[in-house]
Formats: sequence, C-alpha cells, structure tokens
Amino acid sequence: MSSSEQSFKISIPDSALESLQKKLALATFPDELELDSDEERRKYGAPLAHVQRLVERWKTRTPDIANGSGMATDKEGFDWRRAEAKLNEDLSPMFTRDIEVEGFGTLNLHYVHRKSVKEVDGKGRKPVPLLFVHGWPGSVIEVRKILPLLTNPENEDDLPFHVVAPSLPGFGFSEAPKKKGFNLTQYAEIFNKLMLALGYNEYVTQGGDWGFYITRRMAQLYGHTHIKAWHTNYPGPGALEPTFTTQPLHYLQHLFTPYTATEKAALERSKWFSTQGMGYNIEQSTQPQTLGYSLADSPVGLLAWIYEKLVNWTDGYKWDDDEVLEWMSIYWLSRAGPAASLRIYYEVTQANQRQIPAREKPTIPMGWSRFPQELRSFPRTWTENVGNLVFDSEHPSGGHFAAHEEPEKLVGDLRRMFEKHW
Amino acid sequence: MSSTEVPFKISVSDDQLDLLRKKLDLVTFPDELENAGWRYGAPLSDIKRLVARWKDGYEWRAEEAKLNEELPQFTRDIEVKGHGTLNIHYVHKKSEVENAIPLLFVHGWPGSFIEVRKILPLLVQASPNGKFPSFHVVAFSLPGYGFSEAPRKPGFAIEQHAEVGHKLMLALGYNEYVTQGGDWGSAITRKIALKYGGKYSKAWHTNMASGVRPTFTSHPISYLQYLVRPFTAEDKAGYERTMWFQQEGRGYFMEQSTQPQTLGYSLADSPVGLLAWIYEKLVNWTDGYPWTDDEVLTWISIYQFSRAGPAANTRIYFEYMHSKDAAPGALAAGMPTIPMGVSRFPKELAVLPKSWMSHTYNNIVFVGEHASGGHFAAHEKPELLVGDLRKMFGKKGPVYGVVTGKTGYVRSKRGAERAKL
Repeated sequence: MSSSEQSFKISIPDSALESLQKKLALATFPDELELDSDEERRKYGAPLAHVQRLVERWKTRTPDIANGSGMATDKEGFDWRRAEAKLNEDLSPMFTRDIEVEGFGTLNLHYVHRKSVKEVDGKGRKPVPLLFVHGWPGSVIEVRKILPLLTNPENEDDLPFHVVAPSLPGFGFSEAPKKKGFNLTQYAEIFNKLMLALGYNEYVTQGGDWGFYITRRMAQLYGHTHIKAWHTNYPGPGALEPTFTTQPLHYLQHLFTPYTATEKAALERSKWFSTQGMGYNIEQSTQPQTLGYSLADSPVGLLAWIYEKLVNWTDGYKWDDDEVLEWMSIYWLSRAGPAASLRIYYEVTQANQRQIPAREKPTIPMGWSRFPQELRSFPRTWTENVGNLVFDSEHPSGGHFAAHEEPEKLVGDLRRMFEKHW
Repeated sequence: MSSTEVPFKISVSDDQLDLLRKKLDLVTFPDELENAGWRYGAPLSDIKRLVARWKDGYEWRAEEAKLNEELPQFTRDIEVKGHGTLNIHYVHKKSEVENAIPLLFVHGWPGSFIEVRKILPLLVQASPNGKFPSFHVVAFSLPGYGFSEAPRKPGFAIEQHAEVGHKLMLALGYNEYVTQGGDWGSAITRKIALKYGGKYSKAWHTNMASGVRPTFTSHPISYLQYLVRPFTAEDKAGYERTMWFQQEGRGYFMEQSTQPQTLGYSLADSPVGLLAWIYEKLVNWTDGYPWTDDEVLTWISIYQFSRAGPAANTRIYFEYMHSKDAAPGALAAGMPTIPMGVSRFPKELAVLPKSWMSHTYNNIVFVGEHASGGHFAAHEKPELLVGDLRKMFGKKGPVYGVVTGKTGYVRSKRGAERAKL
C-alpha cells in the first residue's frame, strides 16, 4: 500500500548550510607521514593535501539570502545552491511517496521518475521500465548522466526507457528505517512496491554495489512475475568458483579454460580490494553506530571517508573538486544523516545474505558489464554462478561507479541486453 | 629536544582547550535505531551523556594536575635506526628499595601511559617484611601516543618500538631489566625478548598471550588432543569471547591496518568521533569495569591532546600488517627463549586453551589465572596483575634474582653474596 506521490525538489535549509560552514571553519587536520608521491600516500588513505584542498573549496561565504533568491552570485568555492538547482534540473522530475514495508511501518521514499520522451521508438517498441538501484557511497546522483541517454536517445531507433531511481532508505532524501533488521528483503520489497505503485507491473533492473545485492534479491523474489531481466556491473560478490563436487561439468570447463589477461588482472584487483580495501566494510558491518558519530559530526571526516573511495574505486576518473563536494554534500545534507547509510552493511551481514548458494540464484535473464577497475571481478566461469547469464561485455576502461564514469558504455550495454531480454 | 632527560609536566595549551570547547558546542549526533543497545556500536545515550559532561563539569586542568602529581614524567631523545631521533615521553619512578627490579611497562591501543597509574604505587612499594619484591618502573608513551613524538617515515613497526623501549632502559642506566606488556605492549615486549633477551631483557610478562590453533601439520599432538579432549567451561567461554572478537570486533583493526590516514581525518576533526571510537573499546574490551565518565574523558583526552594528534596512533596497525611480523607463521618461526610469565583474564580478546600458548611462546615459567578482568588488566585489576608479577619475580618465584644484583628486596647478607655470583 502506498499513498499518493508528492513532487520533490531538494531544498536544504539555510541553517544546515550555516552549521556546515561553522564546522568547516574549525576544521582540524591530522599529520601525515613524509612520503614522496601520492601513490605512496594513498597506501595509507586519502592524501592530506587533497583533503585540505577540498575542505578549503567547501568553505564558502554564507549564501546571499538578502536578495530573496537564495542564490548567491560570484562565489568563490563550492556553491551548494547552484549545485542544488542543477541537481533538481538534471534529476527531474523527483518525488516522494509513503510506502509500507512489512514490520517496519511506512517509509517515505524519495525517487527520480522520468518517463521516456517518446511513447514508441523508431521500430515501434515501447519504452522499457527500468529500476536503477545505487549503492554506497553513491546516491541518485549516479543516475544523472544515464538518465537523458536512456529516456531521450539521439538515435530514434534506440530502445528507450522509463527510469525510476530511488534513494535507498537511509540515503539521500529517503527516510531511514527506525527498527533493527531492515535487510535485502526489505529493500527489495519497498522498491518492488514502488514500481507497482508507478504502474510498472513488469520491469527490469540495473544495479551496482548494494544495487547488485538488492536487485539480486528482487530477482529472487519477484523474478518472472514482475522483473523480466536484470543487469549488473558488480556481480563479483556473488561469484563462486566452481568446485568438482558442486558443479562437476562447470568445474571441468573452468579447469580447461585458461584465464584471459582481463580475468587475471581482475583477480589481482580483487585481491587488492580484499586485503587493503575492506576496512570500511568490516567496520560498517560490525560497529556502524560507532563510526557514525564521526561521520555525523565531522564533514572533514565524512569527506575523507568517501573521497578515498571515489579515487580508489574509479579508473583514473578525473574528479572535479566541485563534483566531489556535490557527491559529499548529498551525504552530509541527507535526510537521515550520514550514519544511517552505514547500517545496510550491518543488517545484510547479520542476516547472512551476502552469499547465496548457486542453486538459489535467480533464474531470470541476467546481464553483466565488466569494467576493469571494478573492485571484485572474477572469471566468467565463476560469474555464471550468480545468475542466468545471457549477456556480458567487457570494456577497456571504467571502475566501480560505472554509470558515472562510463555512462554511454553502460547505456549501450543496457540497450543490447534488454532489446533481447525483456 | 635533548638526549639527556628533561623533566616533563603535561600542560595542554588554552588554545587546545578552547578549540575542543568550540567543537563540542557544534556537536552533531547521528540518529539511532530503536532498542539498538550495544549491538551497532557505542549507544547514543552514553555518548550524549559523556559529551554533556565533557562540555560542562569535566575539569581537564584538575585531571592534568593529578596525573602530573602521581606520575613523574620526563622526555628524552632516542635514536631509532632509519628513523632519526624521536623525542620520547615516559614515566619513571624508582622504588625506595635500592635493588628493585627495573621493569619496563609497555602500553597499547587505545591505551596510553595512563595504564601504569594504578600499578605504579604497588610496584614501587617496599614490602615491610620482605614479603614481595619491588620494582623501578619505566612506562613510555609509544611514538605517536601521549606526549611522545610520532615517527615521520613509513616502516616504524614492532622492531622499531622495541628499539625505543630497549634504548630507553639503557639510557636510564638499566642494563638488565624485565618487561610487562599487553595489547601492542605484548608484541613489543615479545620483540624485546627476542632481540635483546638474555643479555638485556631477562624475563618478560604479558597479559595477552593467546597462541594459535594447532593444525595437524604444525602441532600434531596438540591437534589430536584438541580433537578428542572435552573443553572445560572456561575453554568454552574463552572460545565464545574469541569468536565474538573475530566476528564483531575487528572493524577498527581492518581500517587502521589498511587506511589509517582516512580514519585519521575523523579522529582529528571530531572529538565526539574520537570519543566514540575509543569508548566502544573501553566498554567492550573490559569485564564489566565500572568506568566513571570522568575516567573515560581523561583517557580520551590523552588522545585528543596528544602531541602528534589523534591520527598518528593508528599507524602502528598499518606498519605491523605490512611488516614481516604479520606474515603467516612468523610468530612460530621466531620465539624468545628467556623466561616468560602470563596472566590470563577471561575477557581478554582472544582466550584460547592454555596449552595452545606453547605453540608460539617458549619457556613459560609462570601462569596466573583469574576469574575476572579483561583486556586492560593493569587498569581493571591492578592488584591481581601486580600480585602475579610479585609471585613471578618474588623469592619463591621461578625467576627470582633474574636481574643481576636486583632481586627487588632490601639486600641481606645472603642477598649480597648471591649478587656476587
């Protein structure tokens, strides 16, 4: 059950922006070891010079509200009001609506919902309803670049989409759950209900990071009935190396198929991630509240915590400082605060939902886009254990935030996948 | 900076106190789930209460004065191979017993030199009837902790910490000494025993010696025993505690050993973030210890006002994990040979069967077992810990007289003769 939609625009109160500036004015930095290069510094975490530069940029004069517009002109430094206005434009139209989740009462969910510009494409095909699910430390901002490509393709023969992109509960402008135990089943439930409420009885999904886990759960629960096919750029966590006892034929194939250069590189990257890159994950999965005090109280701490990922998890993506701060601000200024977004790690780990046995994998068609700097990426034979893999592609560049780093490539893959499997 | 000793008193600047106050005035708290308790981390009501006290009521200047009164402190420069000179802060108190045993106490994380506070008077105390030995006590702040300078270059791992402790003892004129350590202090004193044991370090004691599980290839007999022998109630409780720590308690370790700088921004910029990060351990790692709010705040303040700032202390985790000492099998490969004593407390973080200690520790001559107490033994159970040290080093103990001429007792004629041997 869900009550009717309210139109939504991001509109952060001045008081929140002022309080942020007060904290930034007192920013206190740690020391750093004497190291010769950013590459060396990055081994220990986000480099000091970069964080300091970003914090300086984040400090701005207070918004000029005297002239009534709320918009400041000629500002040095990051201008949230300008970013806010652009986000409202780029992600329009946005909405909120109440959705009931069994055992958790009603949650107010924020989402982007943009319909295809055309009702049919040049080949007479109707737009495909697509649910896009972000992860951590992402947000709806990740749908920004692919939104126009999906809903308004230049080529009239390109398959169009209706796009729905919610903020996960506890992220962005969605309400956070108040009770313990909100795990993948609940995320799946709320998003399925959203699609149904929007009139999409049948739809497809795209997800990376937590979006992978959530859409995999959705595919298990609502595959065939509502979800016709699913696409992911992050199947790694579900990949299972075939063993002789569990999958003898698969195992033999795996034994005789040498790994490609891409697969070998992916294994190296995965090893880096599991040995050097999992600290945040383990803390968030075990003591999210403890970490939450830091992230809620210190914009500098939050900036570093997330910025490290924006750099380490992408493929040399040239982040603009304002782009980073915009991304960061969505966390700092989020409805529930930055601590709430950590709990998904805890709940899913506690519910033991990260791994599912191969026999429980969803059966609807699955598509996979492989980007070389993805965090966990495994050979094809392992990834076939994630789902009913009918489509996969490889790209020469791109990392974890595929929709943000390689929007055209991702959208191209979505078209190729869903043209056939929808 | 001086290679000779300089007396030291903690004197946090007004600016630092002022900045803390300003930050606390702007504090922003996270939300919390209903009925979360301790399951998700430090509870909101505890942290709010502590912050309220920190803002209003807690008197750092009074605590600072008490610390300065109770703990005679000094600094001196110590050179560390490959790392130049570091200015090291330490407590040094001699017993009135001239031949007291020189003891180096080494703290860990999230501890500090403050952990010597309660055991200090007991250790230096002269026994009225020669009932127990006395100690001269040295307790340094690890580089990057308390009021010691932090290392500037990468690679400052356990070996370097051991070098600091050892050189400090030599500089103080203690050519032969014994050590006591928990947490990082355990790894550091183990390294001291390995590198400087025999000639300099004569015996070592730790409250954190967990050992490793036997496998058939590593320790076949132990492994077979492990398979067939029923576990005692203590073993089972210890196992549960160990599993809890492995499954729920290692997040801080993983972050600190891989991305300490990233975490450091939070700890440096947010006093409440630092408070929560450490307070969670003070409660989870102890055995129902009745922390007072002011006690917690003093402990945290040492981090907040530390010389190197609140981020530097996390690097030891990174350096250790990236050193040879963390390689699989490293512990078993090099074991100290000098006599070792262990005190076992039920709420230590890894509590494995007693017999497994011999897989990674050699020459265990003393084991003290206790029915209560946790990770911060010197702070939680000072009498028990000191009691164990007195037993281990005392007249009837296994390493009596291990330090030449320094039995820990007022010298009798017999003692004087023994010392000549």
